[in-house]
Amino acid sequence: MSATWLLARRNLLRSRARLAVSIGGVALALTLVLALDAIFEGVGRQLTAYVDRSGADVWVAQSGVRNLHMVASWMPAATTDAVADVDGVALAEPILYTTDSMSAGDERGWAYVIGLTPDASMGGPWDVVEGTDRPGPGEAVIDRRFAQRAGVGLGDRVPMLGREFRVAGLTEGTASLVNSVAFVPFDDFAARRGGEPAISYVLVRASAGTSPDALAERIGTSVDGVAVQTTAAFGLAERKLVLDMSGDVISIMNVIGFVVGLAVVALTVYIATLALRREYGSLKAFGAPDGYLYRVVLAQAGMSVVAGFVAAVAITAALSAIVPRTGVNLDLAIAGASLVKVAAVAAVIAALAALLPIHQIARLDPVIVAREGVST
Amino acid sequence: MNALTLDVRNVTKRYGDGETAVTAVRDVSLAIQPSEIVLIMGPSGSGKTTLLSMMGALLHPTAGTIRLDGTALSDLSERQLPPIRLRQFGFIFQDFNLLSALSILENVALVAELAGSKRKAAREKATAILTELGLGARLDFLPEKLSGGEKQRVAIARALINDPALILADEPTANLDSKIGHEIMRLLRRIAKEQGRSVVIVSHDQRIRDIADRVLWLEDGRFKDVITMTTDPVCGMTVERDRAVSVERDGEAFYFCSKGCREEFLGRLRSEDMGGCRSAVLQRAGSVFAHLASGARDGHASD
Ligand SMILES: Nc1ncnc2c1ncn2[C@@H]1O[C@H](COP(=O)(O)OP(=O)(O)OP(=O)(O)O)[C@@H](O)[C@H]1O
Ligand SMILES: [Mg+2]
Repeated sequence: MSATWLLARRNLLRSRARLAVSIGGVALALTLVLALDAIFEGVGRQLTAYVDRSGADVWVAQSGVRNLHMVASWMPAATTDAVADVDGVALAEPILYTTDSMSAGDERGWAYVIGLTPDASMGGPWDVVEGTDRPGPGEAVIDRRFAQRAGVGLGDRVPMLGREFRVAGLTEGTASLVNSVAFVPFDDFAARRGGEPAISYVLVRASAGTSPDALAERIGTSVDGVAVQTTAAFGLAERKLVLDMSGDVISIMNVIGFVVGLAVVALTVYIATLALRREYGSLKAFGAPDGYLYRVVLAQAGMSVVAGFVAAVAITAALSAIVPRTGVNLDLAIAGASLVKVAAVAAVIAALAALLPIHQIARLDPVIVAREGVST
Repeated sequence: MNALTLDVRNVTKRYGDGETAVTAVRDVSLAIQPSEIVLIMGPSGSGKTTLLSMMGALLHPTAGTIRLDGTALSDLSERQLPPIRLRQFGFIFQDFNLLSALSILENVALVAELAGSKRKAAREKATAILTELGLGARLDFLPEKLSGGEKQRVAIARALINDPALILADEPTANLDSKIGHEIMRLLRRIAKEQGRSVVIVSHDQRIRDIADRVLWLEDGRFKDVITMTTDPVCGMTVERDRAVSVERDGEAFYFCSKGCREEFLGRLRSEDMGGCRSAVLQRAGSVFAHLASGARDGHASD
C-alpha cells in the first residue's frame, strides 16, 4: 500500500461517524438510482416474459398490431395455414388473446387470457408448479401468485371471459405488476367470442437454417393483412411501452441520486479536509508535493464512493430478494448496463467531490505550521 | 548528509502592502555554519518566526537572498522548494504537527517515503531513530497517546529522517515543562555536535542559552547585537560575555559567572605564580574561549 493509500485510509477511519455518513449517503443515493433501474428492468422482463418464453421465432399479428398490451388482434382462421405454407416455416400455431379482469375471493386483477389449442407446442405456460400445463375443456391454468393471494387452488373456480373455469394448473413467472397470464382452451375461448372463426396471433417456428429475420420478412410479403415481427422485436415493442412511460421518471431519479450522492460526499470530504487543514499544511511544509496531497484527498473520496457503491449494490440485491416474498408482483432485476451506469456516476461523484478540497489544499500556505494553533 | 552553509544576505520580509504593510524582517544577514547551534531570541512579534520560515524555504523574502551552499533558495519557484525542504531541512515547531491518524512510526516513515524511500527501508530507519530517541516501545501509538515531550521527540525523529543538513526549530520547548524542555534542547545540541548538522532555534526561553554557540537578539526585525557565550574557566558554566564578571590579564579577558569564581581564578593565578604554572592555566582557559568565540565570529549581525 502506497503512502497515499495509507494516509487516505487512516484519515477516513479516524472519524468513523463521518465515514459512516459519507458511505451511507452515497449508498442511499446510488441505491435510489439502482433500485429504480432494477424495478423497471424487472417490470420490463415480467411484461415480456410471456413473449420471451413463447418458444416462437416469429409473431404474426393483425396488420398494424405490434405487441400484446392494450391491443386487440383479430385475423381470419385461415391465416394460420397461409403462414404455414411459407417457405422456411417449420411450425405455425394460432392463439387467441384478450385482456380480461380475473377475480377470485377479494382478489381482482387483469389477465392476458390466452386460448391454447390442445396440442400447442408454443405459447403455453412454461413453468407449471402444480397440475397440468394443457387445460382441458372448462379448465384454466392461472398464475400461482394470483391464486395464492386469492386463496384459490386446483379444482376451485375462477370467472373469466364471462364464465367460470376450473383451475387445473398453477404456473410461475407469468405475473407482472400490471397483470398475470391465464391459459384456457382455444375452443372455450372461441365459443365465448362467437361469430366468425378467428385467431389473434400465429406463433411461428422457423425451420433449421432459417433466420427469424428473413422468415419474418418473407411471411410479411407472402401473407396479406398481417404484421410480422421476430419474437425479439415483438418483445422489445412490448417493453418499449413500459420504458416510454418510465423514461422520464428514471432520468429524474438519476439526477436526484447523482446530486444527493455528490452533495453528501463533497460535504464530508470537504469537512474532513478542513478538519485536517493544519496537517496538510504541515505535510506541505515538510516537503510533500501538492500532487501527493491531491491524491490523498482523491483516494479518500474514491474509497468512500466505492464503499457506498458496493453497499448500494448489496442493498439493491437484498431488495430484489425480499420484495417478491412480500407478495407484491414486483421483480427487481439489476441489469449490467445499470451497474455500469451507476459505477460511472459514482466515479464522477468521487472526482467532483475532491475538487473543492483540492482547491483548498492548493491555496494552503505551508507557513501555517509555524503559526500557533491546536494540533497534535 | 552534506555539510551545508546557509547564507542569509540582506533579507527583508514585508507582509501586505500599502498602509497596512508590516515589515517583519528588515535587511537581516547571517550565516549558519555546519554543526553550529544558533539561538535566535527576541520579543514577541520581532520577526523570529518569519526569519526562520524564510531560512527554511517556507516563505519567500521580499528582498535579499538566501543561499544554501550556492543554491539561491529565494530565486526558486514554489514548485522547486518542496524537494529542498524535504531533504535539506528538518523542521520542529512548537505545535508538534504530527498527523493524528498515523502511528508515530508511520508519521516518521511517511516523510522518508515522500523523499523516495521504499516502505520497508523507511520503516526500518524510522524505527531506528525513534528507538534511539527512547520511543522504541511506542512505535504503534497514535500521537494523541503521547506526552508533549514524547511528541516533540517524534517531531525531532521526523526532522532527522531524511538526514537534513539543517534543523530549524521554532519554540520547540514552548509547550513543554522546563525539565523536558531542557532534555529536548540537550538532544538538539547532541544532534548538532555528533551528527554535524546546523541547528537554528528560535526561543523565548532564557534558560536554554547555554546550549547555543551563538545567541542572536532580534528586535523589530533587526539583530540588535550579538550575544557571545563563553565559559567560566573556573566552574565551567556557559556565561553571556557582555553580562559576565570579567577580568583582564596580559591583554586577555576572562569571564566568570560570579565574583566568587573570579576571586578563585585570581587566587589560583597567584598561587600558581608561585608554583610557576600560571601560563598553563591561562592557556587552558584561553583555548576554551577561543573555541566558543570562533562560533560567534560569523554570527556578526548587521543592522
Ligand atoms: N501573514 C502575516 N501577515 C501579516 N503580518 C504578519 C504575518 N505573519 C506575521 N506577521 C507580522 O509580522 C511580525 C513578525 O511576526 P513573527 O511571527 O515573525 O514574530 P515572532 O518573533 O515569531 O513572534 P512570537 O515570538 O510571538 O512568535 C508581527 O508583527 C506579525 O504580526
Ligand atoms: Mg514566532
